[in-house]
Amino acid sequence: MARRVEQKAAARERIAAQLAAQQRAERRRRLLLALGAVVVVIVVVAGLVTIRLVGGGKKTATGPSGAADTQIMTALTSIPESTFSAVGVEGVQATPSAITAPALTANGKPKVLYIGAEFCPYCAAERWPVTVALSRFGTFSNLGTTHSSGSDVFPNTPTLSFHGATYSSQYLAFTGVETTTNEQVGGQYKPLDTPTAEDQKTFDTYNQPPYVKSGGSIPFIDLGGKFVSSGATYSPEVLAGKTQAQVADALKDPSSPIAKAVIPSANVYTAAICKLTNNQPTAVCSSDAVTAAAAKLGGGKG
Amino acid sequence: MSVSHTAQRSEKSSAGLGWIPWATLVVSIAGLAVAAYLTYEHFTAGSTLACPDTGVVNCAKVTSSQYSKVLGIPVALLGLGFFAGMTVLSLPPFWRTSSPWPARLRLAAVLVGVVFICYLIWAELFQIDAICLWCTVVHGLTLVLFALVVIRQALIPPAS
Repeated sequence: MARRVEQKAAARERIAAQLAAQQRAERRRRLLLALGAVVVVIVVVAGLVTIRLVGGGKKTATGPSGAADTQIMTALTSIPESTFSAVGVEGVQATPSAITAPALTANGKPKVLYIGAEFCPYCAAERWPVTVALSRFGTFSNLGTTHSSGSDVFPNTPTLSFHGATYSSQYLAFTGVETTTNEQVGGQYKPLDTPTAEDQKTFDTYNQPPYVKSGGSIPFIDLGGKFVSSGATYSPEVLAGKTQAQVADALKDPSSPIAKAVIPSANVYTAAICKLTNNQPTAVCSSDAVTAAAAKLGGGKG
Repeated sequence: MSVSHTAQRSEKSSAGLGWIPWATLVVSIAGLAVAAYLTYEHFTAGSTLACPDTGVVNCAKVTSSQYSKVLGIPVALLGLGFFAGMTVLSLPPFWRTSSPWPARLRLAAVLVGVVFICYLIWAELFQIDAICLWCTVVHGLTLVLFALVVIRQALIPPAS
């Protein structure tokens, strides 16, 4: 009887020991699993940093990727009048300043001068409304596509490039100068276009207070010696992550954030250009949106 | 069985929490403070962000990038929500409760948090090409929270 009781007690102890061992093993397994998860996360983060350090990062933005394709050109030149009217000038953040200066002309026509650079994110933003406005008075050819620098604020903002582009219009002349590419060599952006001495003089003279808010900024735009603008008239942020084709395509939709940012500026530039062309062509210059934009002109030091 | 389970639970409730829950609470509060600062800077255009804005360390470049928002919601605000939630879930009553839900929520939150910081680190290193110091502090705190929560979870005996 006593022997049987002892055997039962021994069996109970053996089972208890087995259970305790199982619990210890389970606890060890769970702890290893938890530590393994932490190690995996640390390895992933360290791996990302290592890959970046050995040069696996995103490459600096490249140069112009050629002429804008037909899809982009068509989108830029076929924005419906209803879109210009629907968006109007609501929310326009800056307008060209009216100045008193000798007329800026070329070949007997009033001239629009743009000086910027391909690396510059604000130039990237401003080329869209400038191009849209100019496309209402004439035709671009060899317009490039590019994006701002990948290592500046608003990196890789999609845009067009005036480098190598030509513009023909019966109403006005246009000179677009892109002083550098978006590629850095030795810490400096590679030079691209050099402004003529005359254009450089215009830049040096009128890209200064009191004509503009802060001196020397790009993009600088002189509209026939009657208006000047410096910097962007809207935030490049709205273009982030888009391709040039997506931006161009969004311009026709008055409800898109891109159209709401670009079109008001385009209307204001159009109104300024109309002042240079004696309100020609009438269909453009007498439209509701341009008439409304004309009332906004000259106020801000852009 | 149920008697011993109740006894065990009662013992657990009366005993000290141990250092991990307290460390989780401290890290959550620290994260809440940094995320609140980043959120404030986000909504005030980052004009007073104490961080270099040139070179590799460039908070403004990161906080103004397209990756600073997810589905239109500022990442800083998501971080604030995460740390606010973790602070609440790390309060002692939520460690002592017999309900399994606080522990499950904590684990789910840190899992989502750690995946999200991996995405943000990838964006900083490979897309934005700049590092935001304050964001890196938040990433580090999230990683520490993840480690604390999963280790604590592993140390809790499985329900029998």
